Amino acid sequence: MGLQDLRDQICIVGVGDTQQGSVPTKTGDELAIDAARAALQDCGLEKDDIDGLFVQPSYGRQGDYLKVGLMLGLNPRVGGAVEASGATGCYMIQHAALLLHAGMANYVLLVYGTNQKTNRNRFGGALLEEHAPYGAFNPSLPFAFAFRRHMHLYGTTEEQLATIAINQRHNSLLNPKAVQKTPISLDDYMNARYIVAPLRMFDYCYVTDGGHAFVLTTADRAKDLRKPPVYIRGMGRQEAFRAYETPDLVMQSFQQERVAKMVFPMADMTTKDIQALYVQDAYSPAILAAIENYGFCPKGEGGRWIQGGRIAIDGELPINANGGQLSETYMVGWQNTCDAVRQLRGECGPRQIKNVERIMCTYTGGLREHAGALILRR
Amino acid sequence: MADYTKPLPVIEPWNAPYWQAAKRHEFVAQKCRTCGYTHLPPGPACTNCLSNDQDWIQLSGKGTIDSYGVYHQLWHPGFTDDLPYNVALIELAEGPQIISQVVGCANAELTCGAAVEVTFDDVTSDVTLPKFRLIRS
Ligand SMILES: [Zn+2]
Ligand SMILES: [Zn+2]
Repeated sequence: MGLQDLRDQICIVGVGDTQQGSVPTKTGDELAIDAARAALQDCGLEKDDIDGLFVQPSYGRQGDYLKVGLMLGLNPRVGGAVEASGATGCYMIQHAALLLHAGMANYVLLVYGTNQKTNRNRFGGALLEEHAPYGAFNPSLPFAFAFRRHMHLYGTTEEQLATIAINQRHNSLLNPKAVQKTPISLDDYMNARYIVAPLRMFDYCYVTDGGHAFVLTTADRAKDLRKPPVYIRGMGRQEAFRAYETPDLVMQSFQQERVAKMVFPMADMTTKDIQALYVQDAYSPAILAAIENYGFCPKGEGGRWIQGGRIAIDGELPINANGGQLSETYMVGWQNTCDAVRQLRGECGPRQIKNVERIMCTYTGGLREHAGALILRR
Repeated sequence: MADYTKPLPVIEPWNAPYWQAAKRHEFVAQKCRTCGYTHLPPGPACTNCLSNDQDWIQLSGKGTIDSYGVYHQLWHPGFTDDLPYNVALIELAEGPQIISQVVGCANAELTCGAAVEVTFDDVTSDVTLPKFRLIRS
């Protein structure tokens, strides 16, 4: 028995989202409930079919598992809170898959809601307490370190990094749910102010309000539901609490490399089988890290590899066709997985990736310590 | 120095010797008596083997800049007058990496791979922060 026994056995059957951007009339928990309702409607299940519930906490004491469970009026058999910052949604999907496969639940609901834009969450905390005296605030610093070192080791340029923000903004113009709607040119990017140099304003996600939810079930149950199931073909994860002790701090390599060694064998696939990639992109260098560490391109080549339209919606490997967190909305990766599901169902209108059957979603959480990935198929 | 407005380190039983040493302008780390592993930041046990049996050793204070970022955005009012300021990831000669600042130079002088050595910034009467300066050859 191994992870490959789970291959194609669990499906995402419902996705739900809310208005995104600035939603000052709702709390994060209200948005979570709205998203949950939308996900149930998407798959055609009743609330009381749900026997598993996971809730992601958010800024300002929102997303408390007990409170959200009470607000949803559920008595789930299994569930809980999972906290792995930007990898939480991915980890919850994996927990749900294991519980469903073991027969501990039949239908699992995952929810996330936040009003951190309205509440002016600035992500201004120190990386770790011991770093505050040195002015090391905001989780972008490890990505600034990583990109600076990438430039030093491989000659990668800021102009090359600009490709990511420009590409994702282009995609967001095709996405009615996207918050950022002004196109970005290379000049706009290069003239934008630095936040933590070498990263500029356009390398940062935009903090938003909103909610997302997923419903998962087993493949046999999935066949009876409203929408075509999206199968979990592969999954993997790795923590890296000792990342600060390792000499290679370039682009979070070892944890993602270990995830790759789980997710591709489980899926019985290689990078060549993946037709689109969604990266939890709180900061743009996360994309370079993902394509190099998961093996889509050689180490150090990422800056050059993403040129020439390769990551555009009609390119060889479309990345974040929804606009990602730099341009659609900042839902700690949930919105990327939501878009991947809709792409596999062919629901994406002008941003639809042609004939897409296999999509990989990757996640990074915290500073460097959480990494996870999913391979989804139609 | 009552007007010092930046955050100060939180001193716990297991890291107190680190901060007491810094106040004496000594730069130290924990070295495990069981497995020989040298690590920072300080912790209650060896992160390699979980032994409680740890020594404090003097570090050479020499290292290299692995990478650095330059803050143009203010997240804490104590740093208002410092913008733009650098935060660097420094790999120490003895192995551990620490996040600190490189002082006594312009941000434009920093490079990945540059050699640095420790220097001590007495920020209050109680607290001294180990920082770094470029070794100019
Ligand atoms: Zn009712
Ligand atoms: Zn030890």
